[in-house]
Amino acid sequence: MGECHYQSGNYEAMVVAETCRQTLKDIGVEPERLSLDWASAAEAPRFVELITGYVKRIKGMGALGTGEGEEAKPVIDRRLKAAVRAASARKPRTSLGTLSKGLHKGGDYTPEAIEAGVAKKVLPAIRQQRITEEVLILLKEEGAMDEGHLAEATGASGDEIQKILEGLSRRKKISQDEAGWVLMTA
Amino acid sequence: MSQEKANLKENEMTREGFDPHILGFFCHWCCYAAADSAGVSRYQYPPNVRVIRVMCTGRIDVRFVLEAFRCGADGVFTGG
Repeated sequence: MGECHYQSGNYEAMVVAETCRQTLKDIGVEPERLSLDWASAAEAPRFVELITGYVKRIKGMGALGTGEGEEAKPVIDRRLKAAVRAASARKPRTSLGTLSKGLHKGGDYTPEAIEAGVAKKVLPAIRQQRITEEVLILLKEEGAMDEGHLAEATGASGDEIQKILEGLSRRKKISQDEAGWVLMTA
Repeated sequence: MSQEKANLKENEMTREGFDPHILGFFCHWCCYAAADSAGVSRYQYPPNVRVIRVMCTGRIDVRFVLEAFRCGADGVFTGG
């Protein structure tokens, strides 16, 4: 650390990596599947060691969706699709930018500070956006669904799903009929 | 019991035979150079990593990582 060609690039990477890990955990993927390691240009043996150890760990976990405590592959695929959209949305990106800026200013890049900052400021924004996107995907692909099923499929709590459904119907994205929530067309 | 053992063995076999897809994001100035020099010095390391060179690990976005998993990667290795 502190050897970065661009001075603080690797500190920024730590914040992004922590955000990824917490997001992965939130959607039911083993966060250890993402690794962030440092090997300087002169450390070829260290690089070989790192990559060998990492591939071994992934082999131990098995394919995506078969690791311990992971959701099934179809669920992971749907949530990743929603999460990619969430990570592209303005609100989560702004919160990540604000956090990075704050950490840079304070100069405190201990793992604890990063973890706490991401958990408090970034993850809630990503989670809310991810669930919103997932609701839209579910309604599009599987048709009408009631609140309970949506909560179960997205892993959201009762309060969360209620707030999100309210928000979506206020924005005229979804509406309620006798079969449950449906997408609004045109 | 023997069934259990057979299952375990099968499990082990599939794990052993499992060839993970891993996506690597390597910093141009650090890890990429290290990987290059490892190759030049003929060190042996697993061939599972497909490498994308970035000018800085700070360039990596949350989207890149999630997209990698969505495209079927079993792991993402970022090296700075």
